[in-house]
Amino acid sequence: MLENRGVPRFSILRFSMQFYLVMAIEAMKTRYTQYSTLKPLLAGGLMFVLVGVLIDVHGGLSVGRQERHFYACQGDVRPEVSLSKEQVAEVLTIPERGAKQQVRGILSEPYCMLPDLEIRSGVKAEREAYPLAFDPNTWLVVLYEGEEYAGYRFSGD
Amino acid sequence: MAVSWYGIRWRAWLLQVSLVVSAIAGTSCTTPFPAEEAHVVTLYQAWELQPGEQIAGYTVAGSLGDIAIEMEGHAAFAPFNGKVQPYANAPQDCVVFLSNEVPAYLFRLCGLKHPRYGFRQAGAAIGRAEQLQFATLRQQPDGTWALVEPSSEILERVLKRPSPNQEREKTGVP
Repeated sequence: MLENRGVPRFSILRFSMQFYLVMAIEAMKTRYTQYSTLKPLLAGGLMFVLVGVLIDVHGGLSVGRQERHFYACQGDVRPEVSLSKEQVAEVLTIPERGAKQQVRGILSEPYCMLPDLEIRSGVKAEREAYPLAFDPNTWLVVLYEGEEYAGYRFSGD
Repeated sequence: MAVSWYGIRWRAWLLQVSLVVSAIAGTSCTTPFPAEEAHVVTLYQAWELQPGEQIAGYTVAGSLGDIAIEMEGHAAFAPFNGKVQPYANAPQDCVVFLSNEVPAYLFRLCGLKHPRYGFRQAGAAIGRAEQLQFATLRQQPDGTWALVEPSSEILERVLKRPSPNQEREKTGVP
């Protein structure tokens, strides 16, 4: 889901910049360098590198942002909480619209609550987050509406 | 003298060509992002006319269940950290917004011009619209998605430009 789309781009640009530098130094080293002739060429080359770097930085940043994923916890955090494979497998068998108590019976208290939301008009949604013991970068987020279990999603995968 | 001068010209020429080639290679390999996979949504309400469909030669812009907002070309924003994907039923007209932070729901936005597909941070612009058709869909136990009444809270998140110092989703958990 989160491939490192930026990586090949970086290497191409790094390569082109290195190549540019090497060639520029080579040109400078030549005894009969006519700087005035080379200047526009160097400027042109520099422009290309700048454009490339701009594109690269733009793409690189957005890729960096995508890969970071944090949760906005609200209230108490229970750092000791994490889910076992058995707990996850069991909770996935509960159909949407099941009872909150049934889900909570398997998962027990959450690591933390996410801020309350009203997604559909007039219904308060509560979200609870649990890290997975076997994959600590992945979270199970569960959404309840009142006493009803609405659904889950894995995050950070 | 003459030989060296040719040497310089040759090197400069090579430099220029290599830069042009690498610049073209660098941009052409990266700028067109890989085509975003369309998100298939099976609607619970199997109504006859849906956004993107044709009626008497006209395109249906919004269906029952959409809220239409006159946006006058302003941007819509990602309500959460999430993913913008083409809506498979009408990939030219609508996108789907999904967030791993909001289980059981997805949002459908029709009327965005040049939407930005892929992952977007909460508050990031996802496209501009003259008239936005917004729908909230809730997952049903059978896997279909039901159009439900969108809340003002979510619509505000989509419509309001986030202020720079306003941290909508504070990072809390490492």
